Amino acid sequence: MATTALSSFTRGVARYALVAALAAVFALFAALAPGFLSGANLLSVLVNNFALLAIVAIAMTFAVSAGGIDLSVGTAVDFASFAFVSLVLAGQPIALAALGGLAGGALVGVFNAVLIAGIGISPFLATLGTLFVGRSAQQLLTNGGNPVYLPPAGVPEAFRFLGHGTVAGIPVPLLVTALVVAGAWLVLSHTRFGRVTLAAGIQASVVRYSGLRLSRITALTYVLVSTIAAVVGLILTSTVTVYIPSSGNAFLLNAIGATFIGTTFDPHGRPNVPGTVLGVLLLGVVANGLLLSGLNFYWQQVGTGLLIFSVLAIGFANRKAAARA
Amino acid sequence: MLVDAPYIPASALEIEAQKAVEPGRPGPAFGRRLATLALRGGALAVFVGVLVVFSVTAPFFLTIGNIGNVLGQSAIAGVLAIGLTIVIIAGGSNVVTGGIDLSLAANMGLSAAVYASLAQAGHGDGVAIAGALGTGLAIGAVNAAAVTLAGIVPLLATLAVMNVVAGLELVLTQNTVVPASSEFLSALSAGGPFGIPVLAYVLLGFTLVVAAIVQYTPLGLRLYAVGAFPDAARAAGLPVKSFVAGSFLTSGLCGGLAGILSVSYLSGSTTGAGDMLLPVVVTALLGTVFSRRLVPTVTGTLLSALFVGFLINGFQLLNISSTLVSGVQGLLILLVVSATTLLGRKENA
Amino acid sequence: MADTAGRGAAIVRLENIVKRFGGAEALSGASLTVERGSVHGLVGQNGAGKSTLIKLIAGLHRADEGTVEIDGKVYDRLTPHLAEELGIHFIHQDRLLVPTFTVGEALFLGRELRFPGTPFLDRAAMRRRSAEILERYFGLALPHSALIADLSAAEKQIVQITRALIASPKVLVFDEPTAALVRREADLLFQLIRRLSAEGVTILYISHYLGEIVDLCDTVTVLRNGRDVATLPVAGTSAAEIGALMVNRDIGELYPKPDVAPGEVVLEVENLALAGRFDAVSFTLRRGEVLGLTGLVGSGAKEVVRTLFGLDRPTGGTVSVKGEAVFSADPAAATDRRLALVPEDRRRDGVALDLSVTENTTLASLGRFSRGLIDRGAERRQTEDLVKRLQIKTDGVDALVKTLSGGNQQKVAIAKWLSRQSEIYLLDEPTVGVDIAAKVEIYRLIGELAERGAAVLVLSSDIEELLGVTDRLLVFFRGRVTRQFISSETSPDQVLADVTGAYETLRHAG
Repeated sequence: MATTALSSFTRGVARYALVAALAAVFALFAALAPGFLSGANLLSVLVNNFALLAIVAIAMTFAVSAGGIDLSVGTAVDFASFAFVSLVLAGQPIALAALGGLAGGALVGVFNAVLIAGIGISPFLATLGTLFVGRSAQQLLTNGGNPVYLPPAGVPEAFRFLGHGTVAGIPVPLLVTALVVAGAWLVLSHTRFGRVTLAAGIQASVVRYSGLRLSRITALTYVLVSTIAAVVGLILTSTVTVYIPSSGNAFLLNAIGATFIGTTFDPHGRPNVPGTVLGVLLLGVVANGLLLSGLNFYWQQVGTGLLIFSVLAIGFANRKAAARA
Repeated sequence: MLVDAPYIPASALEIEAQKAVEPGRPGPAFGRRLATLALRGGALAVFVGVLVVFSVTAPFFLTIGNIGNVLGQSAIAGVLAIGLTIVIIAGGSNVVTGGIDLSLAANMGLSAAVYASLAQAGHGDGVAIAGALGTGLAIGAVNAAAVTLAGIVPLLATLAVMNVVAGLELVLTQNTVVPASSEFLSALSAGGPFGIPVLAYVLLGFTLVVAAIVQYTPLGLRLYAVGAFPDAARAAGLPVKSFVAGSFLTSGLCGGLAGILSVSYLSGSTTGAGDMLLPVVVTALLGTVFSRRLVPTVTGTLLSALFVGFLINGFQLLNISSTLVSGVQGLLILLVVSATTLLGRKENA
Repeated sequence: MADTAGRGAAIVRLENIVKRFGGAEALSGASLTVERGSVHGLVGQNGAGKSTLIKLIAGLHRADEGTVEIDGKVYDRLTPHLAEELGIHFIHQDRLLVPTFTVGEALFLGRELRFPGTPFLDRAAMRRRSAEILERYFGLALPHSALIADLSAAEKQIVQITRALIASPKVLVFDEPTAALVRREADLLFQLIRRLSAEGVTILYISHYLGEIVDLCDTVTVLRNGRDVATLPVAGTSAAEIGALMVNRDIGELYPKPDVAPGEVVLEVENLALAGRFDAVSFTLRRGEVLGLTGLVGSGAKEVVRTLFGLDRPTGGTVSVKGEAVFSADPAAATDRRLALVPEDRRRDGVALDLSVTENTTLASLGRFSRGLIDRGAERRQTEDLVKRLQIKTDGVDALVKTLSGGNQQKVAIAKWLSRQSEIYLLDEPTVGVDIAAKVEIYRLIGELAERGAAVLVLSSDIEELLGVTDRLLVFFRGRVTRQFISSETSPDQVLADVTGAYETLRHAG
């Protein structure tokens, strides 16, 4: 009986290591970094260090839920951005251009879906291939990798809205992120599709033997991943009014990191939306806090890395202990 | 059923029954061998084809000097990819839960920075070399501990380590180029016999030594067993975890070595080492098609690295943007895995 | 205790071993003494603790309580490596050979041959040695370039045994060695074991087949519920006596079969064929009826079940469900027609081990619980009902299925289809790896399904079980239905003759 109590205790620790780390980091910077707790700073953490990465990480969470991974999320971001910018330059209405941008990102997902669900390649290899092909495709589209600028004068106000606008005082990017997070949470933990995706990730053959169309679910998942990532492409482009080829990859590793940090938040170690959001928040707060603490800018990355490492170590060590018990 | 089941084990007759339905057991084995042969032959054919096309279109391509250059330019990526190959051999080919080391490129960057910084601080080559290799080894040790002791899957463990290492490199260099020069470095980057760069000899020598160990000694055989079927390795009394840990230490050391090579090649440390990561991963994964059993091998990885090197070089000679190389690599890897998957599926059906 | 002379004769001695996994005790005070030079049998039902005991000797598990003694010395920290050094070698049930290795490499892994004075592998020497040994013990020549993946099950088994022989073992442990061998190969194995025994090697032999134990062993230890219930000399003991020790239940109570009057025909199979697998298969299945299928692996019976569920596409014939012809080979379409498959490989295909009882139970019927969003309350209530009705033993509906016993996992796999309101149940080896108590409950469940108007098709290689639970029985041989029986009017021996083809052979001979 003692062992049961102990293992439920350690499981609790694993589960709340993430929350505790977040609280600790928050408290630490509140004490050390002047201005950390100011409303303006906290808002800037959310807009600059959280919003975009959160969306990409949510996309990644779907891929990981389905038992895979998507290394081409950045490619989807880029394709969306490119399509968006090109359509705006071509004089299309913003709404249509935005839809075109989403479609551009989704295209990457369709390509992945064919490789993974159609041919049966492992997601890691398939999306790695997509990443490489996507990189070259962008070079070809841009004459060897030249950024595509929107002339500052010619940009319609509606275009800037996604990146710079506010609704009731809340920045639009944050609002979009909140919507994506809420929607993803509903889909992943409260719909049939989410449940089956999770089941497919845990034990694909059971899904097939339960009379569910596994390859259709898998295909849909990867298209969804890219479409969600495409939202980031739109916001990013609207914020900086330029498309820079292959710039989306910057999100990749942190998105994977946040997703897996998030798995420590679930009692069974499953990928989950709240956990992912906490993971992104942790990364964002650390980045911002380190910056404000006046520590050398480059220590940021070390700090972030160490943090990811320790959360993962605690999470996995606990899972290992639980499996042994 | 419970008491004294009549002696005819149900599955005992399965084989005869199977033989009855499907005479000629060599079928699947033969099919697989043929498919393997086709794939491997195909890969080699593509390799040779590319060489031929380049040598016809760019006359300079097939000169000893140019080939030597390609070898020299491939040295850094080659050493890294070989390090990764060892991790993949020991960890198995499942890239997510199996063997992968994402910290290799960052490792090279930090090791190079350590070397350059030590050299700049007035230390001799001996100290700098020890510093670089020690850095690589230490990174390998952290990976090994994270994977074998903490039980973190390699993909994530090495991802986190990669972040830390890349950060440390920034801290050390303040994101600047740290120049370094010494006799040793000049000697490494100089031309060697037959007008072939010394780096080319280093790559070939390194490959030779590692290939000898991995492909021709009991140690190597055991490494394959550990990766391909850990239970079988365990049943054969092999310390699986030590092998996995050892593979990360080795790849860490390769990162350190690559760091030294890059300091000599670029006359100092440079930023952006992380960009080499994914190309190196692709190089190591593509290497499997150059092996007889479609498994990762050291020589296969060398061929794969050279293939990429020749592509870049050929594109340059032909004035084609070398960025297309990544597209060719991407397509190749998709083609190769599609082919293997589809062939495997047909055979199972 | 003080009798050290007697102890000297024991080469392996386990005493009062307790081994727990999580909450469950796999062994609760088991002892085993194997005497030097003997052929010692170890029997017990699935779950009795045989494999745990073996893994303790192999150093793969460590005992929570009790002592492991080898050659008179107590080992607290036995490792696989140490066990090998002590001369104990294992022929594992799952053939632990690296598929991408050649025969020579697999045989010598861990004790490779080198060119003298160098660190390099002498592959030619390994090839020669392995050819020699294979020839000497088995009269067998395998192509030396062949990979393990290319070998048949029996050949792999032989490689595994040869691996042990190379090491000149003192003790050889065989774990279900005949499971993959044909009769001829099994006989060869028995000869080999006798020869090794005569050469002084101690043998520990684990098997389900009591006939083998009686033929081969000097002594037998019976395990039941994690304890050794008896160790007897085989001379003077019959297989039936050993069998009776393995169970503590009267076999008669096993098959609680209700009498159900069959209703309308719901499944009609006509001339169904799958090229190379089966041909001209026709039968009908009515509501309330339990139909059995049996045959050897490869006889086509399993493939028929897979085809009915849409996992394979037939090359000929028709299947009608409730009078409507089915054309698509798609499990989704099959479940829509109220077909259910409980697959043989439960832990791979039947239940998702890392999903909860609820998530497994409703996986195939989520449509019933969701209008846009899943109604978790309804889902939970349905699962709780089924857990109660099927008497599934679990810590709650949120417990992960991997924490359940094999029998309870199987009930969850069935509950999934009850929740789907399936009407035609295809059960593929439903009681494999399930303990005796759970077996009885599964049999009762099959009866209950029939009573409630479902049509049930049971595929099993356990003929007594089939005769106990089914109304009719179809025997498959070489891809065809060769015989049909009324279950209550036949005996296991008769069916067995058809299963193994004796009937066919006789007919052709006559």
